[in-house]
Amino acid sequence: MAQHSAKGARFQAVTANRLTDGEVVYFTDAGHWSLSFSEAAIADGAEAAEALLAGAMPADFEAHVLDPYLFEVLQDAQTGYQPASVRETIRAKGPTIRLDLGKQAIAS
Amino acid sequence: MYRYDEFDHQLVAERVEQFRGQVARRVAGEITEDAFKPLRLMNGVYLQLHAYMLRVAIPYGTLSSKQMRMLAHLAREYDRGYGHFTTRQNIQYNWPALDRIPDLLQELASVEMHAIQTSGNCIRNVTSDQYAGAIADEVEDPRIISEIIRQWSTFHPEFSYLPRKFKIAVTGHKNDRAAIKLHDIGIVIVKNAAGEIGYEVHVGGGQGRTPFIAKKMSDFVPAAQLLAYLEAVMRVYNMLGRRDNSYKARIKILVHETGEEEMRRLVEAEFAKIDASQMLTVPQEEIDRIAAYFAPPALQELPAASASLDAARASDTAFDHWVTTNVVSHVKPGYGIVNISLKPIGGIPGDASDAQMDVIADLAETYAQDEVRVTHEQNLVLPHVKLDDLKTVYDTLLAHGLATPNLGMISDTIACPGLDYCNLANARSIPLAQEISNRFADLDRQYDIGELKIKISGCINACGHHHVGHIGILGVDKKGTEFYQISLGGSADENASLGDITGRAFTEDDIVDAIENLVASYVDLRQGGERFIDTYRRVGMQPFKERLYAE
Amino acid sequence: MQSNRQLIKDGTLAENLWLYLEDDAALSDTASIVSLQRLEDEADTLRARNAPLGVILRAGEKQGEDVRRLAPFLDMIQLVAIEFPVYRNGRGFSSARILREELKFDGEIRATGEVLFDQWQPMARCGINAFEVDASISLDQFNQAMGEFSQAYQPASDARRGLLWQRHGK
Repeated sequence: MAQHSAKGARFQAVTANRLTDGEVVYFTDAGHWSLSFSEAAIADGAEAAEALLAGAMPADFEAHVLDPYLFEVLQDAQTGYQPASVRETIRAKGPTIRLDLGKQAIAS
Repeated sequence: MYRYDEFDHQLVAERVEQFRGQVARRVAGEITEDAFKPLRLMNGVYLQLHAYMLRVAIPYGTLSSKQMRMLAHLAREYDRGYGHFTTRQNIQYNWPALDRIPDLLQELASVEMHAIQTSGNCIRNVTSDQYAGAIADEVEDPRIISEIIRQWSTFHPEFSYLPRKFKIAVTGHKNDRAAIKLHDIGIVIVKNAAGEIGYEVHVGGGQGRTPFIAKKMSDFVPAAQLLAYLEAVMRVYNMLGRRDNSYKARIKILVHETGEEEMRRLVEAEFAKIDASQMLTVPQEEIDRIAAYFAPPALQELPAASASLDAARASDTAFDHWVTTNVVSHVKPGYGIVNISLKPIGGIPGDASDAQMDVIADLAETYAQDEVRVTHEQNLVLPHVKLDDLKTVYDTLLAHGLATPNLGMISDTIACPGLDYCNLANARSIPLAQEISNRFADLDRQYDIGELKIKISGCINACGHHHVGHIGILGVDKKGTEFYQISLGGSADENASLGDITGRAFTEDDIVDAIENLVASYVDLRQGGERFIDTYRRVGMQPFKERLYAE
Repeated sequence: MQSNRQLIKDGTLAENLWLYLEDDAALSDTASIVSLQRLEDEADTLRARNAPLGVILRAGEKQGEDVRRLAPFLDMIQLVAIEFPVYRNGRGFSSARILREELKFDGEIRATGEVLFDQWQPMARCGINAFEVDASISLDQFNQAMGEFSQAYQPASDARRGLLWQRHGK
């Protein structure tokens, strides 16, 4: 998979896809999976990121989601946190060519 | 068209039940994702960026109107109102929920369709010429042997866990519309001096990271022995193909590393043993049984010209253009082959809505002998339409955004789903296709440019066939940002060739200007009636490159 | 055979009477499965020995061992174990068919390694008649998997002729 690498990133979040329908989900501070990137827990630094990922993968995680992983997010003065890569931006919003589909459709 | 007998029905039904059990075991937590993944992949279920994706097989690209209506129904009921026709003549649904896929497959089975072997390291859907049975000068309808190959390869006990995926394409015509030389096995139907039909077999073509044009392994394999020959190729590959590196696991690498001569010797030795056993010699009765399903439809005896068509063309310029670009001569006088472009200006290549699929199904039923074809260039075909009916068909297509007169033109782009959907992609493909299409929206300009095949892939796996585009575009990822590399001079037809990379890649902002620049070079350089590819083959890379990278 | 495994042979639970023998382990009178290399190196000794002999075809890194190397020794072996290192590696399906159909081997062909539920039936079609399966698998589950498909389109090493022939009584 392309654009997964988060090496050297300061801020990271954990994402996965939901088992039953494949929906993109984010691991939250409350220890749940959310459909919205805005609710994602943000880890500051490599150690916090590893801890966040470990928290997202208890023994039974596969009953709910597929393949949790870390990805880089950037801090933006205006909009708060945003995914760093095009790939994760598209996952967080939906296809750039169909604004009526994916999470962006629900948001608008 | 082929119709299932009781055994075909039973096997597909058993497969649906098998998959239903697999999904139930996964959702109930009885099997891990590691164990489930190969099972879902064997049935065409991928996990993409936003959701699961299901790939449904359309054997050799042939559909009945009933099947097309089912595809529309599935798009409505299980997806978000559309489907995506692919370069492998299949359809993909982008949003089905995993726990509903068994029900979807059960509905699909009711119209004799399935998702069997649309993924995994097995023999995939056999692809063929979209004009099969409708075009003049065909040696034999390629769907006959394609159906025999489909059956032989379905649940093949020996070849379901090959080193890598395996694709077979068949053409029955000297003009290759199935890109057979870019397949693991490409078959050309030929006639020998005695007038007997046989098969010329090419092995080891493919695209991806390391593209190769297939090597001709045999000039003539008799019809009854083709399965024995194919089994020999498969066995040599399964025994000797590399399993240590998935990038070197396709048969093209085996042929390349073994050498053409040695590969031929190995295949012939294996073939001799299998053939001697007679166990794969296909009975003539079975060839005849399957051939009967592909007998030419009962078309009327009509004059070659249609007065009503001529009148309509004279009074409607847009219609006239559409007939010129999108309608191809039929073997039967008074009929035409209608190409339905799924490349509206600025649209998404290969996508069709549920409503559009229903409209096409209705047209096929009323005007085209109940048949629809899918092309590897992501368009659809109504294979048998009376010239007298063309205007009516056109008007309906036009009303549903399906009458873009751009077949083979610069806006008739192949594009993979790219980073908008695909888990493997490095860059987006569809937005580029849309921008190019919008830039060259003016049809007169497209007609002046003439045939120009642009093919766009969002990663090195080359699902968008960029290696064989007259202009190929490959998306690459540089630290999370998209870049696009251009190649020139590729071709997927009977004179197949691989494109040459021009040089450094372009940004998203620059790439359409770069394409415009290449087109301008061609227009300046062309002589007589040369197409882009002809000019490139005559003058080579240098003049294009100089202008492309001029400061 | 690993301790968490059980043997299903010819459709029924069976006691495993065979020992996998390391290359440097001494030969004994126990039924033993040796490596292909050892079979070739010590053929005379093995032939003189008075106990059942089997051989394992290893999957190797790049390419598995060639089943046709067994040709000179078929008269002295009663079992061939085929290693399936991961479910994806289906090379052993061809090895089994070559053993049955070309080399006419009629002893036990045993699948060992990572084999998935849905692979048993195609393996059986290729001539494999013994399976080392996870101890948690019941015979009922095994038989259910073996009956998932009631028809086959193509012939292989089993009795099924293939629908392309069967439709015409061939």
